[in-house]
Amino acid sequence: MYPPALQDIIELFEHLPEQERRENLIVMSDGAKRQEPKEGETFDLEDVRKDEECTDTVGVYLKVDSENKVHFAITLGPLVQTLTKAMTSILCRGLNGARPEEIMAVPADFVPRIVGAELVRLRSQTVYYVLGRMKTAVKMYLDRKRAAATAGA
Amino acid sequence: MNPKLSAYAHPDALVDTDWLAANLDTPGLRIVESNEDLLLYDTGHIPGAVHIDWRRDLNDEITRDYVGPEGFAQVCRKNGITPDTTVVFYGDKSNWWACYALWVFQLFGHKNVKILDGGRAKWTAEEKPLTREVPNYPATDYPTPLERDDTTNRAFYHQTWQHMLAKKPMVDVRSPKEFSGETTHMPEYPQEGVLRGGHIPGAKSCPWATAANPDGTFRTADELDQIYTQNLALKKDDDIVAYCRIGERSSHTWFVLKYLLGYDKVRNYDGSWTEWGNMVRSPIEKGS
Repeated sequence: MYPPALQDIIELFEHLPEQERRENLIVMSDGAKRQEPKEGETFDLEDVRKDEECTDTVGVYLKVDSENKVHFAITLGPLVQTLTKAMTSILCRGLNGARPEEIMAVPADFVPRIVGAELVRLRSQTVYYVLGRMKTAVKMYLDRKRAAATAGA
Repeated sequence: MNPKLSAYAHPDALVDTDWLAANLDTPGLRIVESNEDLLLYDTGHIPGAVHIDWRRDLNDEITRDYVGPEGFAQVCRKNGITPDTTVVFYGDKSNWWACYALWVFQLFGHKNVKILDGGRAKWTAEEKPLTREVPNYPATDYPTPLERDDTTNRAFYHQTWQHMLAKKPMVDVRSPKEFSGETTHMPEYPQEGVLRGGHIPGAKSCPWATAANPDGTFRTADELDQIYTQNLALKKDDDIVAYCRIGERSSHTWFVLKYLLGYDKVRNYDGSWTEWGNMVRSPIEKGS
């Protein structure tokens, strides 16, 4: 159901006591910067924008390797919430290396299992936002690929 | 005293960042961080500050209300607060939730409350110290307040209805597009379950942000007087109700009107648009 790396993260988080869960989310949040594109790195698709429902700009960078495995990089503006930063690290770790179809099939129901019911509530709903943006990037990539294949046929 | 602060109607209701930095270890002072970002306190906070969460600590989800007197006393006890403690609130979002927490403390009659002008943003912009060390204060025996005073600073739905019928001053502090009904969500936020867009009939639009500078500090007394007394034509003896979506932005305006400008009768309608806009047969107006 979930890519193996994401499944491992879910199982790790959902069994943590509340305080340890928070501490691990902070560690993940601290690591969000490491998900940014490396200097000189190139991508198949770049989707950088400030949506009206998000507090700051989020950039999603995607490339697909020769084995059809997806690799993400993500940039976050400074006003993005801590929980969203944490989820960015988690999703990059959990989804990198998965195939496009696997990512499109990932349901969002794992989010409360990682974050905990206490933290998924009014004014923290952007915790779902980054997953939505990553899926959108994959869909855009697949659409372009199909269009290119149709044009070449 | 900071000349900006001394010009306000109640200068003691605010402290500036330099004052707080010099008083971190002052006995009888408790610094409280209240944020919208749930984990922001955990990433670093003012040394000695405790965390009071607007929902976990101050709300009673079962009744969709605030905690009762015993619940409030427990929050104070576990954070080392006594009835004599001076509580300085600060937080993110230009102090929305700090003002909200202060407002809840007022419902229970805690007298010594202040806001850090500029909140967390100004403190961090000035590179003043932050720590991840969570303080552990000895529990106090904060007595259970006799009651929660829901009459002086709080307005309920039916009172707001009567207020509307009486054509008394009502301030809608949401964004202009929320007021007009063009959108049903705040700028930069997802939809939060509101069924209709618009405003309470007779309400005047004055977004909370008009009272704040870009760095999160409050505007000067003269500027606030221009906004509320001159432009909005509010009079000192007016009976005023402020509202937003869930009562946090209107807590900011409530604080401005009551403490910085000295209006006597200001109530926060915390049910706000999520209640009024969704209530069956509740009248609304659209447009600016």
